Amino acid sequence: MGDAAARNFQYLAYGLIAVWAILAVYVLTLASRERKIGREIESLKRMIEDREGK
Amino acid sequence: MLYLRQAWTVAAKDLRSELRTKEALNASLSFALVILLLFSFAFDPTAELTREISGGLLWLVFAFAGALLLNRSFARELDNDCLDVLVTSPVPASALFLGKALANWLLLLGIEVVCLPVFGVFYNVDWTRQPAWLALVLALATWGVTVIGTMFSALTVNLRLRELMLPMLVYPMLIPCLMAAMQLTTALVAGQAPAGDQLAWLRMLVGFDIIFTALSVALVETVLIG
Amino acid sequence: MREKILYTLGAAAVLLLARNIWVMLTGLPDEAFQGAIFRIIFFHVPAAFTCFLCFFVALIASIGYLKTGRMDWDALAVSTTEAGLAFGAANLISGMIWARIIWGIWWTWDWRLTSMLVCWLLYAGYLVLRRAVEEPAQRARLAAVLSILSFTVVPFVFFSIKWFRTQHPQPVLYGEGKMDAGYRAMLYGNWVPLLMIAVILVMVRMEQEKRLRELDALRREAHAF
Repeated sequence: MGDAAARNFQYLAYGLIAVWAILAVYVLTLASRERKIGREIESLKRMIEDREGK
Repeated sequence: MLYLRQAWTVAAKDLRSELRTKEALNASLSFALVILLLFSFAFDPTAELTREISGGLLWLVFAFAGALLLNRSFARELDNDCLDVLVTSPVPASALFLGKALANWLLLLGIEVVCLPVFGVFYNVDWTRQPAWLALVLALATWGVTVIGTMFSALTVNLRLRELMLPMLVYPMLIPCLMAAMQLTTALVAGQAPAGDQLAWLRMLVGFDIIFTALSVALVETVLIG
Repeated sequence: MREKILYTLGAAAVLLLARNIWVMLTGLPDEAFQGAIFRIIFFHVPAAFTCFLCFFVALIASIGYLKTGRMDWDALAVSTTEAGLAFGAANLISGMIWARIIWGIWWTWDWRLTSMLVCWLLYAGYLVLRRAVEEPAQRARLAAVLSILSFTVVPFVFFSIKWFRTQHPQPVLYGEGKMDAGYRAMLYGNWVPLLMIAVILVMVRMEQEKRLRELDALRREAHAF
């Protein structure tokens, strides 16, 4: 059992890591998009305020 | 009745303009012939091997040639805003769609009819042993290809990168249709009339055609007009 | 309120997952032939379930958009499609790692693998199509039509590939056969946290779509000067 089971456990870990890595990558893309949207909204708002101030 | 005449008018217009300019037809036909030639380098075309994969080979050629043809189907109407005129004309969008699909179907069938003898000569295959069944399979599967292809031609007509988008979206959609066509064609070229499994494939092909024709007719109005 | 729901769901999902992994490793015996690796199934199969559920919701949302023309439906459709693709990728990759051990190969053209891959490509096309359209209403409309067409073709893909691949001798024969009750409970039990995660992802993504619309409005306002 010992050796074979150990090897399988290793690949089980790889499998689980892969699953969560994919979801993590998706979450990261979500987060980066969130930041980008926030930045753009901020800069546009500032631009509009500036123009209205003049 | 009026509806059918409208669809036929659109089909006749498309066929006429295509047969006069031959721009898509020439490109598509020469492309098909070149691929047929190239396949002979991809594998050693011995008689048995060719017979085993004849369906796959032929339908890959037809699918590639079809994409070229279908790309032009709606894109052709972009010049001089012809598409806007067609959409605003009293012809319903679904009749417009059916007419275009019919024209594409006839053109693609024409290409297939030219390719088959060339295939027979190049690969030394007697493909005429089940002519009636082969004609039926060609007609059904080509309709499947054209109905999906014309739908996506309408869907992608106003997009950037239209030429890339169409094949990328169409080929995964066509997998069931092409697979049925490949299975049936391989058996028919080998001279077997459809039986057992082959009939199930044929039924699936018919179902595919009916469902996607109905769905496209129902949805094309939202695509073209919104 | 929304934040609260998100955090509660997230916490619940993490707790459930921790409990499930604990039970998986300590409570459930190894499968007779496969040893420890079979535990991948508790993520592999629920990921596929989640993926298809997401695509189904995307279909409903697409129909909803075409019926009502409300952008919320479109936001739901794109969010569920993206989440579905993420879970579909998780399913494919975990399956490949599992296959490497049990079958000795990374990939085989077995019908299940092939049809999952085709589905994934179909819905990846959906995202590519969305990127190519600028105008929001047109984008939503075309994407909705594509989603409906894609969902319709999925059963055809499944059956055709199944027929095709079972007509040939398969390189590897593997059937799930009967499953132990404890395993089955764990299979469905682990679906719950994955579903919760999917819901969280969809909610976050929908909020982003809303903000993207805001951004669009601001842009127009800025250019109107």
